[in-house]
Amino acid sequence: MGKIIVMTSGKGGVGKTTSSAAFATGLALRGFKTVVIDFDVGLRNLDLIMGCERRVVFDFINVINGEAKLSQALIKDKRIDNLSILPTSQTRDKDALTREGVEKVLNELSKDFDYIVCDSPAGIERGALMALYFADHAVIVTNPEVSSVRDSDRILGVLASRSRRAEQGLEPVTQQLLLTRYDPERVERGEMLKVDDVLEILAIPLLGVIPESQAVLRASNVGMPVILDEASNAGQAYLDAVSRFLGEDVEHRFVTPQKKGLFSRLLRRSA
Amino acid sequence: MSIFSFFRSAPRASAVQAKERLQIVMAHERAGRTGPDYLPMLQQELLAVIAKYIDIDQNKVEVKLDRGGDCSTLELNIELPAREAAAKALKESAKLAVAGNRPAAKDGDESDPVKLAAGGALTNGGVKKRR
Repeated sequence: MGKIIVMTSGKGGVGKTTSSAAFATGLALRGFKTVVIDFDVGLRNLDLIMGCERRVVFDFINVINGEAKLSQALIKDKRIDNLSILPTSQTRDKDALTREGVEKVLNELSKDFDYIVCDSPAGIERGALMALYFADHAVIVTNPEVSSVRDSDRILGVLASRSRRAEQGLEPVTQQLLLTRYDPERVERGEMLKVDDVLEILAIPLLGVIPESQAVLRASNVGMPVILDEASNAGQAYLDAVSRFLGEDVEHRFVTPQKKGLFSRLLRRSA
Repeated sequence: MSIFSFFRSAPRASAVQAKERLQIVMAHERAGRTGPDYLPMLQQELLAVIAKYIDIDQNKVEVKLDRGGDCSTLELNIELPAREAAAKALKESAKLAVAGNRPAAKDGDESDPVKLAAGGALTNGGVKKRR
């Protein structure tokens, strides 16, 4: 049985799709059969981030409606063997996501895959509720910023009350925090919430800290999950997060400002 | 960073304010998440009790909730109608009681506000606690 992971946040633009793409790719790199599903019906973007936008024929909604077979809608990643993408519809709306339909697709996927990563849309309406409903594990993607932290707390409340596990009185959905767009230099200047501040407020375990990085935009430009840019700090931070998810004890990097040499300091000053 | 910034007293870091604001607002949001909104009910029941003994005007009632860090204050302001001599006596004593913190009521006022302030811990401020 595959494990269902939801990437959720409440707030938009914090890095759910970037993180879903990176995380799913990371799990596949570690040898697990992984599929990543776009739940943002009408605002499809996971395909672009994964670089498979030109290979979309059928989608998640077609499968739910019985218009296509799951095998026809799944796109196999060209770079990594164990990785598949299930894109969503660009034209329909979120009402197309029925609980029964989503359950049927997830059940079928969990026979073949070790991990099913659900990329949630922003908000707490149908799309987001469907993405988290069947989850076994939730990765809460949060920026060190007041509105994002508050919305994350709201989503934690929704997970605790409106997920399948909550409704059926099963073991609660496990939760981990992924703090993205972290800028250690601004933190040091007292302009940004510290990792510890966010942890204290949300009170869930830390999966990883992804530093603010130019590599993220570069990767999305070319349709490559940023985790494949192994030279970048964001790529390395995602690799670490995947290792931690798999139970390895990895020290957190990129949480303090990197020491600069005198030369680069002088250059920066004059720039 | 100029050399002058070295001499200026550092302003209070904005991140510290962010954390404090979040802790306060979220303590209340979490407390409110678990139960139904009890304030309207509480107001109705309190008024019903007072109305049993005193004839009050439902429109001259003010309920305020002030949310603080680890304690909230529920403030109930009810205007009591002033009638007869007994009411006048009450009015005088009430005036004395409140003279310290509000401007003296004008003579000939039809009513006199009596403040019933119930300060209590409505929430326990347990920021880390998740219910």
